[in-house]
Amino acid sequence: MRRANRLRLLGWGWWVPLMAMVVLLFMVVACGEEEKEEGTATPGAGASPTAEAQAPPEQQEIVVQSGQPEFFDPHRSNFEQDIAIERMLWRGLYQLVLTEAGGVEAVPAMAAGEPTVAGNVYTVKLKAGLKWSDGQPLTAKDFVYGIQRECDPKVAGPYQYLLGESILNIVGCDAYFNALGTADKPLTPTDAELQTLRDAVGVKAIDDTTLQITLGAPKVTFTIIMSLWAAFPSRQDVIEQYGDKWTDPGNIVTNGPFILTGLTPGAGGNVVLTPNPNWALEPKPALRKLTIRFIDDLEAAFRAFQTGELDITSIPAPEIPTIKADATLSKQFLQVGASRIWSVEMQMKDEVLSKYEVRLALSRAIDREMLVKVVYNDAYLPANYWIVQGLTGHQGSEPFESIIGYDPAAAKKALSDAGYPDGQGFPTLKLTVLDRPDRKAEGEFLQKSWKETLGINVEIEAVDAKTRSSTFNTKNFDLYMGGWQIDYPDPENVLIGLFDTGGGNNQYECSDPDVDAKLKAAGTETDNAKRIKLLQDAETLIVTKLCGMAPVWQGAFLYLADSKMGGLKPNGQIDAAMPGNWCPECWYVKAQ
Amino acid sequence: MTAYAIRRILWLIPVLWAVATITFFLMHAVPGGPFTQEKKLPESIIIALNRRYNLDEPLWKQYLLYLWNLLHGDLGLSFRGDYDVTMLIRNGFFVTAQLGILAFIVAAVFGIGLGVLSALNQNGPLDYLGVFVATVGAALPNFILATFLIIIFAVNLGWFDILGWGGPERVGDALDPSVWHIKKLVLPVVSLSFLPTAYIARVTRASMLEVLRQDYIRTAHAKGLADQVVIIRHAIKNGMIPVLTLMGPIAAALVTGSFIVENIYSIPGVGRAFVEAVLYRDYGMIMGTTLFYAAIVAVANLVVDLLYAVVDPRVRYG
Repeated sequence: MRRANRLRLLGWGWWVPLMAMVVLLFMVVACGEEEKEEGTATPGAGASPTAEAQAPPEQQEIVVQSGQPEFFDPHRSNFEQDIAIERMLWRGLYQLVLTEAGGVEAVPAMAAGEPTVAGNVYTVKLKAGLKWSDGQPLTAKDFVYGIQRECDPKVAGPYQYLLGESILNIVGCDAYFNALGTADKPLTPTDAELQTLRDAVGVKAIDDTTLQITLGAPKVTFTIIMSLWAAFPSRQDVIEQYGDKWTDPGNIVTNGPFILTGLTPGAGGNVVLTPNPNWALEPKPALRKLTIRFIDDLEAAFRAFQTGELDITSIPAPEIPTIKADATLSKQFLQVGASRIWSVEMQMKDEVLSKYEVRLALSRAIDREMLVKVVYNDAYLPANYWIVQGLTGHQGSEPFESIIGYDPAAAKKALSDAGYPDGQGFPTLKLTVLDRPDRKAEGEFLQKSWKETLGINVEIEAVDAKTRSSTFNTKNFDLYMGGWQIDYPDPENVLIGLFDTGGGNNQYECSDPDVDAKLKAAGTETDNAKRIKLLQDAETLIVTKLCGMAPVWQGAFLYLADSKMGGLKPNGQIDAAMPGNWCPECWYVKAQ
Repeated sequence: MTAYAIRRILWLIPVLWAVATITFFLMHAVPGGPFTQEKKLPESIIIALNRRYNLDEPLWKQYLLYLWNLLHGDLGLSFRGDYDVTMLIRNGFFVTAQLGILAFIVAAVFGIGLGVLSALNQNGPLDYLGVFVATVGAALPNFILATFLIIIFAVNLGWFDILGWGGPERVGDALDPSVWHIKKLVLPVVSLSFLPTAYIARVTRASMLEVLRQDYIRTAHAKGLADQVVIIRHAIKNGMIPVLTLMGPIAAALVTGSFIVENIYSIPGVGRAFVEAVLYRDYGMIMGTTLFYAAIVAVANLVVDLLYAVVDPRVRYG
């Protein structure tokens, strides 16, 4: 007798063929032939050829990971991933390259040679026959327009400061940029007033191939700054015609090695670059198509690299042990010293943190080597310095180790000298970190270190990026995990604005007249050796006095690059977001 | 029923207005703004950007301006790239909807199928399998499931691809066969559909068991009807009513996207855009995606309510 609650919907005669069909369908989808280009390497596929021969043109296509950019307009961009793409699309008067000795220098790009300097006036001749991607001549007027645009308050360029008084000091640039007033006293200048200010910016085209730039004072870093995106040329007619849509594919006009031919904006989107037929310099791009996928989740990017869907990607530090243990991935791993320095920033207007002995105690209780090992799998360099390794003027940790470096006994003594023996009576401090697993782990490491060594309590406040930035900019923090990544390869960029009294990024209120004097002198010194010495002196003062921060580590860029990739020359001082991004025209797919 | 449907549609207007108002003032109350960043922007930039996006006006004026533009179908610009919010939502939704519809179909077919089979084979092997799948599906977070699927089937076995969406990203490409890559569709669809499959299976099983115990089912058997006829014509139809209640919110949730799945597979969908809008304080996108979701959920619930009347003739709306 059949049980009433077990019924047959289908007989067994149906089940077997049904299940077989499901399994067959699965296998067809999973194992189906997919178009693979001949010779396309997948991770783990064979060793690299001994000769660096290039693959044929039809195989010169790669897919690269990048964070999601906001703009493709070099005068509106704020983030590294935006700038990384713009450097592929434009090139300035000069460009940053690696030297034979492994250093970095600015060499002529669109410029014919070094500038002629007469007092504060810099004259630059352009190479002959330069063209935009649409075939129109590239002239000095395009550089004038680009520089004026960077100084234009309505464009609101986040990197205008590079051309302003604090850095390059182009005459009239700040006056134009500040024409809208301040938060307390906003202004509404007329178009005529703005035009007057624009015309007063110290840049003009003497003729089609001669550009003249007037600075407030001579500047040693002139060619370096003029290699940056803030000084890229712009096409006035294109921008006026298309407005904010001027960077859309089909509208955009560029002078760099690549042009933008495809775009899917937004999260998960991508951009497609193809060679610019009118690129003036050598080498000409070997790549026929460069697709940049916007992937912020580095774990997802890592997996996509493993499946062969990405050829170059950044990877998260926690995957380093997995990568190093894999015979194939370990050969594709690139660890590139980065121009990024990380620190515990300390609010010096706080009564407790204003005491030097307290800051010293906190600094000397940090085992930087252990932190980097435990939290970041040794991906980064422990640092007791501020001018990063790779920059001229780098002094290393040695001069500072014995003063601020890890020493639990010295840390306890310093806290006792401050009036808090064994942490008695010490208030609970708040440590603000980004709400991300590695940063939270770092916070917990520090919290534990300070508790065990000093007996003090620190609460961790993990917040999203915007809340964190708001906390920093309103100076509403005790301790804050933050740092600096250079905008250009010169030591002044890690100091000016960060440690001078009232500096734009000096939210920790470091204020020392000796530091101010050194930085001010360095800003106007024209003898480079003396200038570097002044900056080193400033660094020594800042680090030994722990003026607003205690350095912790210097970063590294972590990448995986498929073995088929050739021409990658990564350098953390001049790359942006991708390895060897300073020369994407150098990239190619090797012959397999 | 037509009058009921029209009334429900008209109710959308005050509902969306309330959602817009609450969202607008809440998002301005959260710390940090669209231009807040660690490297503080100079005041002149903040002034210029506020003027560009009308953020220098008093809040009440910004609110009224937003409502006025909304009435004209203008959702404004995204601060991240000055892209039109309507365009971003449209393109993102086009992808998300494909993923959601496929996941919904898989969840409905396998969920209902598994639930029915479990109920029909109560305490048998198929029932145990169904309960196991349902329990695992409900307990396992989809980001863990997705990670396992990727590692096993994509990285180790190389059967599937995992980067991007395997279908058209623009409406105009829908009929272009070259944009379809089935190997990219499988894992995101499975990852997204697993949890709703589990829920649907559990509810279907419980509902079917309840129905199968009813007198009319016994009567149908007594009248000599074949098992298949009893199950399909009588049991399933009545057993689906509670399941329908579930399907509306599930459909709305799937079609509006999953940030986690879209993030893991780098799919350019609207679910991910919504979460990122909040993280970046992209006011235009926050408002646009929130209103969009509210409308989708309201419409989905209306469709479910109307389907009740179709499935159950006893249900009538005045």
